Amino acid sequence: MEKPGIFEIIRPEDPSVLGPRLGQLTVQGRSKLETPNFLAISSRGVVPHMTPDVIAASSQIGGVHMALEDFIEKSPSGTPPIMKIPGNPLHTFTAIPNSIITLLAPRRTPAVTAPNGNSDTAISVFTSTGFQALSNKSYISSIQTLRPDISIALADLTYGPLPGTKRTVKMSDRTQEWLSDLLSENGHGGAVFAPILPIDSLSQSEYLDYLADDQAGEISGLAFYDSNLLPDIPATTSLSRLPHLSLDEPASPHHILRQISLGMDIFTIPFIGHATDAGIALTFRFPRPLPDDAVASNDTGSSVVPLGIDMWIPTHATSLLPLSNSCTCYTCTSHHRAYIQHLLSAKEMLGWVLLQIHNHHILSEFFSSIRASIKMGTFEADAEEFGRIYESELPEKSGKGPRVRGYHFKSEGPGEAKKNKAPWGNLGSDDQSAGRGLVPDENSTELQEKGFAEKVEE
Amino acid sequence: MPSALKYELVARCSTTKARAAILTLPHGPVQLPLFMPVATQASLKGLTPQQLEETGCRLCLNNTYHLGLKPGQEVLEKLGGAHKLQGWNHNILTDSGGFQMVSLLKLANVTEEGVRFLSPHDGTPMLLTPEHSISLQNTIGSDIIMQLDDVIVTTSPDMERMREAMERSVRWLDRCIAAHKNPTKQNLFCIIQGGLDLELRARCCKEMVARGTPGIAIGGLSGGEAKADYCRVVSTCTSLLPEMKPRYVMGIGYPEDLVVSVALGADMFDCVWPTRTARFGNAITKYGVLNLRHARYANDFGPIEEGCGCVCCREGEGGLGVTKAFIHHIAAKETVGAHLLTMHNVHYQLALMRSVRDSIIEDRFPAFLKQFFADRHDGDKTKYPDWAVEALRTVGVDLMEP
Repeated sequence: MEKPGIFEIIRPEDPSVLGPRLGQLTVQGRSKLETPNFLAISSRGVVPHMTPDVIAASSQIGGVHMALEDFIEKSPSGTPPIMKIPGNPLHTFTAIPNSIITLLAPRRTPAVTAPNGNSDTAISVFTSTGFQALSNKSYISSIQTLRPDISIALADLTYGPLPGTKRTVKMSDRTQEWLSDLLSENGHGGAVFAPILPIDSLSQSEYLDYLADDQAGEISGLAFYDSNLLPDIPATTSLSRLPHLSLDEPASPHHILRQISLGMDIFTIPFIGHATDAGIALTFRFPRPLPDDAVASNDTGSSVVPLGIDMWIPTHATSLLPLSNSCTCYTCTSHHRAYIQHLLSAKEMLGWVLLQIHNHHILSEFFSSIRASIKMGTFEADAEEFGRIYESELPEKSGKGPRVRGYHFKSEGPGEAKKNKAPWGNLGSDDQSAGRGLVPDENSTELQEKGFAEKVEE
Repeated sequence: MPSALKYELVARCSTTKARAAILTLPHGPVQLPLFMPVATQASLKGLTPQQLEETGCRLCLNNTYHLGLKPGQEVLEKLGGAHKLQGWNHNILTDSGGFQMVSLLKLANVTEEGVRFLSPHDGTPMLLTPEHSISLQNTIGSDIIMQLDDVIVTTSPDMERMREAMERSVRWLDRCIAAHKNPTKQNLFCIIQGGLDLELRARCCKEMVARGTPGIAIGGLSGGEAKADYCRVVSTCTSLLPEMKPRYVMGIGYPEDLVVSVALGADMFDCVWPTRTARFGNAITKYGVLNLRHARYANDFGPIEEGCGCVCCREGEGGLGVTKAFIHHIAAKETVGAHLLTMHNVHYQLALMRSVRDSIIEDRFPAFLKQFFADRHDGDKTKYPDWAVEALRTVGVDLMEP
């Protein structure tokens, strides 16, 4: 039996035509997600830096990617707390607004490579207390309890060097079996996205045929671990009508545009958070800078427009400009560059909060302009113009980011450099109790010039 | 001297020395008694100014020492002050910077000219004077500015030094008044010193009140002195201060300290504790402080505090319905956990002061105090702190009577 689709393709009329697509993802009880669009990436159920009330008031985030591995550190000793909540556990537990779509994946994106391999029945996941095995059986039962709007079936991934031929056969066999188990036990009726493995299409052709021939009616979308696979998907109507989700790591908006031109619909974009943590305000617009923005963006003297601004640079200290001219986000309408610069340099947590609000807003606007462009039929030309105007890469990170947590990375063994510098203990804190109070960075002459104090003769 | 505030007494408790008032400052009115959260470096620990506003806060603190270093006077001058810097259209109070200087720079010592210290970078001797402090605070543009005072720990046994500090603080007040460039836009508060010596405190009150500053602070407390001594000092001072001026006790923020100090006649308080403790995973509730990092909260799906009206605890429109279990899940792992608890804790402090105020206006403050201590100690009077029982007896409230 074919399920009612959650996705509707508005353009092009024939979805099997390879090209940019305009669509709409509809989940009952949530706001419609117009595509192309993106899902915010969460960590332990929160979009880093943004409290749920800020998400509701100051963002246009339409969906959130959540990872099961962020919730199950207590599972070896008992039921993880989130599993004990009736109704809609993901929304209830994390307090994200009800209008936002939840997508549950087994692992974070990007995920930390596990030292142990996967087995025929389980993958290795990284929780805040260490590595654990997550069996497909337990993943399926978690989906049934957590009732995410969309879940991605378990995939046998290697996350490291490219696997050999033997391994790829196993990957596609296991993934097919795991998906099949999920679909046959999918009682709650939530949408299931089938993973597309990050190996060449030939090596997973049997799995892809299985999707096209046997399960196209049962799955509600395709989740690409490598977006380059998009053109290799069997061009059957039943598959091409499905939404395409990228779990890839696009390095820049240029990569996003390329994927959209190949028919990608929904993205997860780790560079938003990376830019925020690096103190970079994204400023790109599609397809070209807004008229008022031209001056501000060109102040580097280069003819190529940068994709963002490094807010650590001290020249912003007295700038009353918004991060990006004409930007309507909370940060830009209520604050200016000088404040962001001050907050970063004072290591106040609010600096990252305000950047995160702005950077998510920039991406929302970016996708909204892309949709308008597809609607107008000018996407190819617009994307070409964007490629010409903007720099190819995001600005280099020059400042320090916020404190890195243990479950964000895997230790590489003894002798590893500290992830957080020692004075970092003072992050975002006015705590003098730790005995590490704020001490002037300046020498006496500079302090005197600042009017902070004066030099005296002994 | 000129003033940029209006103090309107709304009600007086018929039993204790508590007062309810409206204090109108350059950036709008605030209701006294009042707790002021501390936004040290022009930001309240991850909260947007909008979120801070939603807690009901209309007067917060910035620290002059910190703003003097970052972003510095020149930047503040160019931006047009701290309100502009942080996008905060309500009131700001700044301290003088002297306390941080003495406590953070180990090599600082105090002379008649000002606070002397060695530059931590090149060892050059430097001096922060009352004039520097006022000039910085004038540039910051805060609605209430504090005089530079000579602070020493109240528990210091050196009585001679204590007397010298008190007298010097009076002389520095005169220098601050003379240096103050915007007396019609910014309110300079004096700071009563004198350690735990009630006679010194009384003399200081007399001297400083004579200078006629728009408001008066009681300083040098909250430094580890016995609570009973603290209460005696506050009560002695408030009895000597003019009725129609606001009284600010610096560095006070534990809920018991707040309600007792109000009973002793104080109006304004500040403390980093509510926001700092939030970052350690601690939630302030009327039944005491909960450390939500403790495993016992992992499966506690109740709100941080039942009946609390903060954005986190509230359910339904505009509320998040955050549970203790969720805070436990993210505390010390994602900064959002700290932000949520900071919102809750600041809201708790402000709501506490609002209910104190309501009870004064309705003249049921003594009953409020009894309920407050009963809630905190689960109705067990043997657990009530002696100092609070004693202090409240001096103003006519006996917590021990039924």
